[in-house]
Formats: sequence, structure tokens, C-alpha cells
Amino acid sequence: MNAIEIRNLTKNFGEKQALKGLNMTVPAGSIYGFIGENGSGKSTTEKIICGLIHPSSGFVKLYGKDYTDADVRAKVGVLIESPGCFPNYSVWNNLMLQAYNLSIENPADEIRKVLTLVRMEGAAGNKYKNCSLGMKQRIGIAMALLGNPELLVLDEPINGLDADGMRIMREVLQDIAKSGRTVVVSSHILGELEKVATHYGIIRNGKMIREMTAQELNDSCRTFSRLKTENMQRAKSVLMSKYNRVEEDEKGYLRVYDLVKPEEIVRFLYSNGLIVSEIKTDKIGLEEYYIDLMSEKGVN
Amino acid sequence: MQENRISFDSPSFFARLKSMLSVDFYRLFHTPLFYIFLGIAAIIPAMLIGMTAMAGPNGEPATPLFTNVWQAIAADTPIYGFEGIDKYANMNMVFIFGGIMVSIFIGHDYKSGYVKQLFTTHAKKEDYLISKSLTCAFAMASMCIAYIIGSIVAGLFTQTSFSVNVYNLVCAVLGKMFMSLGWASLYTFLNVIFRRYFGISIASSFFFGTGILVIGVGSIIGNTPVLNLFLYGSSVFACLSSGFVNVLICFIASVSWAVVYNVVGSLVLYRSDVY
Repeated sequence: MNAIEIRNLTKNFGEKQALKGLNMTVPAGSIYGFIGENGSGKSTTEKIICGLIHPSSGFVKLYGKDYTDADVRAKVGVLIESPGCFPNYSVWNNLMLQAYNLSIENPADEIRKVLTLVRMEGAAGNKYKNCSLGMKQRIGIAMALLGNPELLVLDEPINGLDADGMRIMREVLQDIAKSGRTVVVSSHILGELEKVATHYGIIRNGKMIREMTAQELNDSCRTFSRLKTENMQRAKSVLMSKYNRVEEDEKGYLRVYDLVKPEEIVRFLYSNGLIVSEIKTDKIGLEEYYIDLMSEKGVN
Repeated sequence: MQENRISFDSPSFFARLKSMLSVDFYRLFHTPLFYIFLGIAAIIPAMLIGMTAMAGPNGEPATPLFTNVWQAIAADTPIYGFEGIDKYANMNMVFIFGGIMVSIFIGHDYKSGYVKQLFTTHAKKEDYLISKSLTCAFAMASMCIAYIIGSIVAGLFTQTSFSVNVYNLVCAVLGKMFMSLGWASLYTFLNVIFRRYFGISIASSFFFGTGILVIGVGSIIGNTPVLNLFLYGSSVFACLSSGFVNVLICFIASVSWAVVYNVVGSLVLYRSDVY
């Protein structure tokens, strides 16, 4: 069963076409990493899924039902951009409002539960406006979790967070993932997304250019050999004379992307008078895969 | 992966409305705004009655604006055009200040982004409008009561006459309180239309709340019951010579306009992007 099924979705804002026939399939129970550049249409798609804006054409189904149905909407928790909270209310009062909105029977118990999940037990009495950015994002997730939703849509929940905030948020997302809920999470911080996502959708210019599972991503990510020698400049020119793609990475290692055994590279460099001090094989991550994909010609 | 195990319960209209009303009343009672406006509603008649009954700076006797406390609640007879401040300055002013309160109350939904939390759940657009109209009508009716209390206290201090036909007074007060629903619906509608422009919401609420359009027409064509078709006209019709018919007309006008504004407001929200 698919939690979200979108077909031929378009959205026009005046002359500007934000979505151009987007198709998207999110299997139930998956953690779906929704990736794209700024202005690619991620937030527009998420706002449509959440019922905040209307599509110009196409359809959106949540668990096989129209996305506007009240019964299916009751199963969706949302954090779009920033949490919709009243700044002068306490964290508790903001959550209480949402609990009333969702007709939760034991709101106090439920609020305590979600605050614990997002590591905010001690901050219930704080005024929302006095909370840090990281805390506000976690309050947003707590609000989204109220009412035990089946589907969570989280728009950029980790952007702007410091290292500690990001770590806490990753733990929170991993806990949510364990609960079996479907989560659609968009982010620019692909390294973090890679740690939790089971599926990916890559959007560009209002169109979905690729959807895949984490396994498919792993399979399609290129393997490379990463090495260090005493003379990196010479090693690079020597390697480039034989192999098609040799690059220096940000840590100063040389990368050979051709499908070749490390021993062969070591032998080749040795025959050219270069000693390899370190070599290992690795795979490119989501971020590099994404950059590669975006730089491919014809991907529009 | 989870399988097809999700059960969907369709919440009824009343269940949805109850949720939305819970949210709005919780907010109303937890916002200082409501209590500030209750205070304003009490102070206005107190000032009108008290200050105009005071002696002048040189000890000369003042000319009180009202000879009877209840004239601060409603005019003796329905006068739609402008005939002096004493005929105009009565409980209808609550609907002007109520408009500002409603604009701030609803404006905060959009300013804070809370509206995202509302519309991404099972709430429907009509639930939002009905709930806001009812909550704000309650707030304005409460302001009417605060206004009456302020009038009575000021009347006691200034020893202004309290003599009145109780039946007429009760009908006038009930008529005006019934009008709260129509006014609240108008302001809710205006705030939905101008939801992205907080300043325009307040300005438009103030403009319509003054009843200036009806006053203008009334000044030109004179007192005619046709003006009771409008919110301000019906509010004026609830006067100190009111009877059951006046209350009934206020009720019908208020509910009719509430239905119109809620239906049109819902259609606007259904056809436009919420946030």
C-alpha cells in the first residue's frame, strides 16, 4: 500500500509553473528523503500533500483516498517550514491547542509522551518565543506527532541546526522511523538524510527526476579507490595517463573511479616509482550521487 | 513495511466543530487581548457617562451626554442617520472595538502560522469560519455585558437616572447581543479575505464596524426600516423602545448575514491557497 501517490501534479503561481506533471510514490512505512534544489518544488509539493495549497491539475492520494478527505487528514502530522505556534504561549499551551484541534482524549498524557520523544520534557513551561531554533523544530515535530499520525511530512526539519541540534534531531527521526510510520522528510543536508532514509525522490524544476530505494541508491553509487602517496601531484598525473576519472577530494586523497582492483593501482604506481601509503575502496554517498545526477546533461 | 492495516474514522461535522471550538475558546481565554477588550468595553460607557457629568474646569455645571444611564446602551428610538453623538455613542460601539479584537485574534492565526496546524488536520474550511464566528460572537456578547456593567457603575457614581421600562431594555440588550453573531461573521469573513494583509483586515473591520455606510444612507433617505436589512441598521433597531419584534428582526438579520458570510468565506477558502 502506498502512503502517498501523486500523478501528473501541476501547480501554477500566476505565470510561474512550480510543478510540471510531478509523479511521486511513497510506500507506507518508508522514510522518504525528498531532495531537490531551492525552488525545485519540494515545499510546494509538501504543501499540497498537507492541504495548504491547491494543485492546478493532477491528483494526490493518501492511503488510496483523496488527500482532502477529513478521515485521511486526521492521519497526517505536519511540520512545514517552521512550527505554527503562538510565540507568547508556553510550549505546553501550544501543544494543548493542537491536542484540542485533534480531539485527543487524554491530551496531557499524549503531550508528555511526544515531549519525551523529542527530548523536550523539561521545556514544557518555556515560552515558545524563548526557545532556540533546534528546540522550535523539535516542538514542531512534537506537534506533528500528536494524535499518533500514520504519515509525517517534515519540511527541512534539520536545516539551520547546530551540530548538537542535528544529532538530537537525527535520534528523534530514527526513533520515529522505528515506530513504523511513513515519513516524508525534505532536507538539503543529505549526509544526515542518508542515515535515516529508506527511499528517495529527487525533484528538479518541478519534475521528479528519480525515485529509488536506499538499496538501489547503494547499487547505483559508483565505487572508487581512495589513496595517498608521498607525491600526490605526480601520482595524479600518472594515474590520469591510464585511468579515465581521477580526482582529488576535499581531504587531499586521490580518487580513482574506474572499476579497478586496488592492488592493480598500487602496482601501476609502484612501476612508476611511487609508493602508496594508504589505499581503500569506498562508495560515493547520497550527496555526491545527487551532485553527479544534477550535473548530468539532459536531467531537467 | 506496514501493510493495509490503517482504519479511517470519518469525524462528523459536530465532532470537527467541537475540536475547532475547543481550540478557539482555549485561545480566547488564554489571550490577554480578550480581557483588555472587556476592560475597554467597560471603560467606554463609564467615561461617556462619568466625564460628561463632571463639572467644568471653572466649576460650571456640565451638560451630561445622557439624562438616563440606559441611553448609553441604546438610543430611545431607531435613528439611522447621524443626529448627534448621544444617539450614536451607545453599545453599538462594542461592535467597532469587537472588530479590532476579531482582526487581531484571527490575524494571529496567520501571523504565527498556526493556521497551518489547523488546516493540515481533519478541519474543514467551514469549520474554521463557523468556529471563529461563534467564538468571536461570544467575545463580543461578553463585551456587551462588560459595557452594561461599566454603564451601571458610572451611573451609580454620577447618580444618573436609572428609570426604564425593563421589558424594553431587556429587548434592546438581547437584540444587540444577538447582533454579535452577524458582526463576528462579517469580521471573520473580512479577515479571511485579507488574511495576508493584517493592516487592511483591521482597517476594513473598523470601517464597516462604524456603520458609516448605513449612517450615510440613513442621513440621505431618512429613517426607513429597509436599513434593518443591514447589520448596522438592525443594531440601531435594537433601541430603548424595543419589543419582541425588534429582537426577532435582530436575530434574523444576524443569523442571515452569518450564514451568508460563512458560506462565501468557505467558498473563498476552498478556492484559494490557505498559507
